[in-house]
Amino acid sequence: MQNLLKTMGQICLLWLIYYVSTWTVDFFHLPLPGSVLGMLLLFLLLSGGIIKEQWLSLGANPLLKHLSFFFIPIAVGLMEWGELFTQKGHLLFLPLVLSAIVALLTTGVVVQLLTKSLEKRGGAN
Amino acid sequence: MSTTLLVTITILLTVILYLISRKIFLYTKNPIFNPVLLSTTVIIIILHYTGITFEQYKPGKDIMTFLLGPATVALALPLYLNRGVLRQALFPILLGICLGALSTLTVAVLLAKISGLDSLIIASIAPKSITAPIAIEISRLTGGDPAIAVAFVVFTGTFGSIVGASVLSFCKITNPIARGLALGVTSHGQGTATILQEGALQGAMAGVAMAVAAIFISFIAPFYIPWLVNL
Repeated sequence: MQNLLKTMGQICLLWLIYYVSTWTVDFFHLPLPGSVLGMLLLFLLLSGGIIKEQWLSLGANPLLKHLSFFFIPIAVGLMEWGELFTQKGHLLFLPLVLSAIVALLTTGVVVQLLTKSLEKRGGAN
Repeated sequence: MSTTLLVTITILLTVILYLISRKIFLYTKNPIFNPVLLSTTVIIIILHYTGITFEQYKPGKDIMTFLLGPATVALALPLYLNRGVLRQALFPILLGICLGALSTLTVAVLLAKISGLDSLIIASIAPKSITAPIAIEISRLTGGDPAIAVAFVVFTGTFGSIVGASVLSFCKITNPIARGLALGVTSHGQGTATILQEGALQGAMAGVAMAVAAIFISFIAPFYIPWLVNL
């Protein structure tokens, strides 16, 4: 019972950060999703020691564990676009597949080459 | 049927199908059985055959997604807990994430343009490597559609989780830091869950890559995506 209250209180704290961030984004017309500002804000509050990890983990963990649940009702909206996918679905395949491979290789190659050169420099010293 | 009853039924249907598909995914550990893909397909089929429209499903959807905002904010927590891995090689990691995120967005948009797809689809395909809650917001800011954006995000997440590790091995990318980051940049949360099976370092790197890529793309998207779409 106490844990349930704690969890709900912590989710309220997360909701408060989200609310303040979306309000800030709206008020200043920032071209940034409110949730991203909220995430940055929480990261800074944690890094600065203003909010302790223990104050949030009970509320944050179930939300993160079931994060994918929230996408399901949004993805159901696809039923309004059925025609689009039956008519143009084949055109989507190439952009999606090739761009995914580009992402894998760009990040993979850049990081592998740079960390290797760092290690070499480190070894020479 | 009364509205309240219909809303209750659609919410119950969604929750039950999510729980079942999550069990199937955890049991099979196969990326193709990811809960979003599985539940969404079954829900759409059920709604289609029972004659419930998306308009009728919407009130339930608004209730169910009420906590998505706070849940997205909570993504700061794993990023904070894994911040130590950034210190291993801050510059290569950040450069690798940003270049990967930028190149995949650019290639996806340009190929979609060449294929003759319309601007709604192109704007929705742009954030397909970004974690779903933020891809939804980005698609709203740049003239895309959130539902289509989620579909592309889930396709990319699933595809990258299936082929990612093999593509990297084939191209001799063996460094665990590089492998983790590559999966996180390409396939966000789904990629993170998959590469975590290779090791804790890979998993932590993927989580960091997913968060940093989402923040980086959020900052450039409102300018870069419309510019690219109208190129």
